[in-house]
Amino acid sequence: MIALRARLRAIPTWQVTLGLALLGLGFLIAAQLASERPRVRYTTQERAPLVETALGLQAQQDDLKARILDLRDRIQTAERAGEGSAELVRQLNQELERARIAAGLIPLQGTGIVLRLEDSIQPAPPDGNDRDYLVSAQDIRILIEELWLAGAEAIAVSGERVTTTTAVIDIGGSVLVNSAYLAPPYHVTALGPPDLYDRLSASGGFVDFVRARGERFGIRISFATPESVDIPAFAGTVNLRNARVAPSQSPAP
Amino acid sequence: MHRPFNQVSLAAVTLLLGALVVVQLRSQAGSAGLAALSAQELTVLVANLNTRNDQLRTEVATLQRQLDDLVSGQSRGETSVDRIRADLSRVSAWAGLVPVTGPGVTILLSGPVAGANVESLVNELRNAGAEGIAIAGIRVVPGTIVGGAPGGLTVDGTQIASPFSVDAIGSSTTLLGSLTRAGGIIAQLAVTNPELSLTVTPVDRVDLAATQRDLVPLNGGPRL
Repeated sequence: MIALRARLRAIPTWQVTLGLALLGLGFLIAAQLASERPRVRYTTQERAPLVETALGLQAQQDDLKARILDLRDRIQTAERAGEGSAELVRQLNQELERARIAAGLIPLQGTGIVLRLEDSIQPAPPDGNDRDYLVSAQDIRILIEELWLAGAEAIAVSGERVTTTTAVIDIGGSVLVNSAYLAPPYHVTALGPPDLYDRLSASGGFVDFVRARGERFGIRISFATPESVDIPAFAGTVNLRNARVAPSQSPAP
Repeated sequence: MHRPFNQVSLAAVTLLLGALVVVQLRSQAGSAGLAALSAQELTVLVANLNTRNDQLRTEVATLQRQLDDLVSGQSRGETSVDRIRADLSRVSAWAGLVPVTGPGVTILLSGPVAGANVESLVNELRNAGAEGIAIAGIRVVPGTIVGGAPGGLTVDGTQIASPFSVDAIGSSTTLLGSLTRAGGIIAQLAVTNPELSLTVTPVDRVDLAATQRDLVPLNGGPRL
């Protein structure tokens, strides 16, 4: 034991430092290589302006969404300002508030759960398909359906509210929700009864999903049950270009 | 002789270490996802973002006009009943709370089909810009579930027999083009469901009923 200590003390300090630095270097190289898989990185020349354009458009989209939410807030305040003027206005405002909540135009808070979906870190076998090891639009759609079945009353995917017009589609190894580009990990937040997770985990469909995607391909599925969840408002268009309210259903004058 | 060599080695290793830390941190940052997209996928993404941003600009203009009308009307002492009613009508129609009518497409499905396939069809209709959808007369809203194996299709727990139709309001041309394009959803369903017959017809008028569901949550409320 004493001999070992003496030998350790005999190692020059620079060797220890260099050893530690090399250890760190090895770790970082391994981490970098791991982060490259299974998502392929493209490095062709024409991509750079496209990435720049996409980032610019995403920034514009964030700005437009913020303006829509702000304008809706101001309209709601202006509509409420006339509330005391007549019983009819008060009644209409109440109806409008309910319709906005039903449409997903108002942020909500309540009991619920948050599920997190992450790509697999397992390497795809030589005869396998890399895409099977990434979270797909279909995975998110299945999870949304299972949450509705379990009793969810409002859902958002990484900040995008699920509404009557929401499409979830694949783009490369990532997804578009409400035409907004989302990158993994995906957070699916659901508002619902306090036992929402118990109901979800008791569902055969959800168990099958976890087996098929989690156990078979290593898609990482985790959950949290915070005291309350926040569901953002839909920050998109509710303009109808083709649909009109059926004549007999127009509100009476 | 040893000392300068040691120092150079150590400096080189730490330099490399620093560079790798930066690369690693950058690769974890925001635009990491975009790096995984090919040029073709980026083109699709840019087209999607452009379309969506145009829609958002229209929405901003509509809301700005609505706000200006409300404020100027109130300053003239006018009642806001008509404006609130118009807003209520627009939001209710969009959310599926009232029956709506308009041009669009009717897709007739005849034969066995799984609920998941019908969900994919609905997803594609939404992606193509459908403003309202109904399956066998049942309006599709958040929470509507199409389930069951082929031959046992259910929508919100109601058994649906073949043949049945999926109706959607929107631009007939756009909806038809999106559904029937090569490799599109109709082609995919035809391959995976050889016994299923699908017919897409553009129509001048589709009537969609209001949802029967109450969409106001019981387990939460507006965030203050």
